Amino acid sequence: MLIEIKKLDKDYVMGDIVVPALMDININIAQNEYVAIMGPSGSGKSTLMNILGCLDTPSRGEYLFNGVDVNSLDDDHLSIMRNKEIGFIFQTFNLLPKLSSLHNVELPLIYAGYSKDERFERAREALRRVGLEDRMMHKPSELSGGQRQRVAVARALVTKPGILLADEPTGALDSKTGVEIMALFDELHREGNTLIVITHEREIAEYSRRIIYIKDGRIFSDEPNPKKI
Amino acid sequence: MQLEENVHIALHALLDHKFRSFLTMLGIIFGVASVIAMLSIGEGAKREAIAKYQDLGVSNVIVREKKMTSAELEEVRSKFSPGLSLSDAAAIMDVVPDVEQIAPQAEKEAEVKFADKSARSTVIGITPTFIKILNYETENGGFITQEQYDAKAKVCILGAGLARLFFPDSDPLGQMVKIEDQWLEVIGVMKPKALFTETVGELSSRDLNNDVYLPLSTFNTRFMKENVLSSEIQQITIKVKHSDRLPETSSLIRSLLHRHHFNNEDFNIVIPYELLKQEEKERQIYNILLGAIAAISLIVGGIGIMNIMLATVMERTREIGIRRAIGARKADIMSQFVTEAVALSITGGIIGVILGVTLSLSITWFTDVTTYIQLYSVFVAFAFSVLVGISFGYLPARNAANLKPIESIRYE
Ligand SMILES: Nc1ncnc2c1ncn2[C@@H]1O[C@H](COP(=O)(O)OP(=O)(O)OP(=O)(O)O)[C@@H](O)[C@H]1O
Ligand SMILES: [Mg+2]
Repeated sequence: MLIEIKKLDKDYVMGDIVVPALMDININIAQNEYVAIMGPSGSGKSTLMNILGCLDTPSRGEYLFNGVDVNSLDDDHLSIMRNKEIGFIFQTFNLLPKLSSLHNVELPLIYAGYSKDERFERAREALRRVGLEDRMMHKPSELSGGQRQRVAVARALVTKPGILLADEPTGALDSKTGVEIMALFDELHREGNTLIVITHEREIAEYSRRIIYIKDGRIFSDEPNPKKI
Repeated sequence: MQLEENVHIALHALLDHKFRSFLTMLGIIFGVASVIAMLSIGEGAKREAIAKYQDLGVSNVIVREKKMTSAELEEVRSKFSPGLSLSDAAAIMDVVPDVEQIAPQAEKEAEVKFADKSARSTVIGITPTFIKILNYETENGGFITQEQYDAKAKVCILGAGLARLFFPDSDPLGQMVKIEDQWLEVIGVMKPKALFTETVGELSSRDLNNDVYLPLSTFNTRFMKENVLSSEIQQITIKVKHSDRLPETSSLIRSLLHRHHFNNEDFNIVIPYELLKQEEKERQIYNILLGAIAAISLIVGGIGIMNIMLATVMERTREIGIRRAIGARKADIMSQFVTEAVALSITGGIIGVILGVTLSLSITWFTDVTTYIQLYSVFVAFAFSVLVGISFGYLPARNAANLKPIESIRYE
């Protein structure tokens, strides 16, 4: 199993008030799965995704990544996990505005300690993969929304992570561009990548092979996508 | 993370806000510039003092006849003091243990003439040891030899100024100059000496380049005393073997002369080395004061950097969150922001060095204050600016590193 989550809870503490955001979450995700997470606003999708992506830590419960107990990792090892094992794709892209596409894509490799030449080769390869080889020197502000999200996908791909996590990757895009991004995800899945995508939209979720519904911080349903079987 | 990336980020941050960066650096700029300028002024003064005392000899003790009115002179003579004499010199040589060389000298103000030119100068009768004791060198010809001294030869050495005046474009060697009613052959010319502009102890300021030197033996036989009561010699310069024993040696000399002069206080003892030390001590107070001012301006500069770095970290919370999300460790963020602070302080340091060097060069150029820039002072000032960058950049950088990735990436 790539991901094993057992009895996971997450509480947000705001002063004296404890807000439970996730309760009794149990999920197993295998290599090369393609999972969509759906649910109403405020149900806890992003909270779960941040925990999966080692950006946040659960309040209780177990999270094993490739058999490694993530809860036992210190800050440095969590950083290394994020760097090497997780490719995060955000709704708002989260590119660094002053850097070129190439430099943005190179960033994870810089933190991984790759040499300059290797960085360039890998970043260019990743940009070619998302069809932006001719936009390497463009800054985010010089790119369309769809192109920005492609740069973000290239950045997530560049370290060849164990899993790609996308939190509403099409949320800031028009439907046509959104479809293009989903087509790219489909290809990535076929190439052997494991993907988890959060979405509000039925059409987007239909791309996946398995759909998890979350409601009020609990898993409401977890079933294969009937249309893809 | 790699230093290259850090420097890249830092320079971009600096250039993205040029004016803000410049204002931030001002404190460092003035701090570094003032360190360099102040050290160069201090060093200039020190070198000037050393040159001055080196002329007098830092391992010398100078015994000088006290300036007295004729009434005072009559009084000491009536109290049996013969004044400074060659026998005093001989006694010092014999009795005082640490003496290496001794040079007695007699002096007289006189008119020196060559052809139609004449000049008022100090005629000094000396022994051949003189040149060995004092830092004097001839530029042309030689100095008085023992043979010339023993033979009471009628020879003289001219000061550089006098030689230039009398012989602007001919060779002075072998020429005859006239002092009072005596003709003397010029056998050498002294190297030019720095103007002796200050009175040091009993040694009054004058232009040493106008002096004429001749054998003391010749002086005592050929020239009349200024006054029948005048002492035989006016000065004894004593070179000691160990300058660390100067105080003991000089007090021995003092008590010896006291005895010889029947307790008359008709001489003064000048110890150039002691005066040098004393001047150094005075300068030290001034240096500490200047150092404190420079340190304060560097600290103020550092606070400026800290302030701007705290603001920068706030502004770039989201960037920090993104970097953390894609794998930057705390140490990477930390080093990024420390590098940024150091880039500010190094740039300020470089501008400060340029300003400081310019400042001290213009001080020398526009005023008569001597400055001397030592390479080490430039390095010290520069090193301090880097240190300020590191220490005042540390806190903001740590704040940045301790931001929670999830919170900073959501920061608006
Ligand atoms: N930093 C936080 N502090 C306190 N409460 C939070 C925090 N982040 C989220 N919450 C709460 O946790 C719950 C789950 O939020 P989450 O962002 O995971 O929802 P979501 O399913 O992603 O919603 P959306 O579809 O609108 O993005 C919500 O009730 C939210 O108010
Ligand atoms: Mg969300």
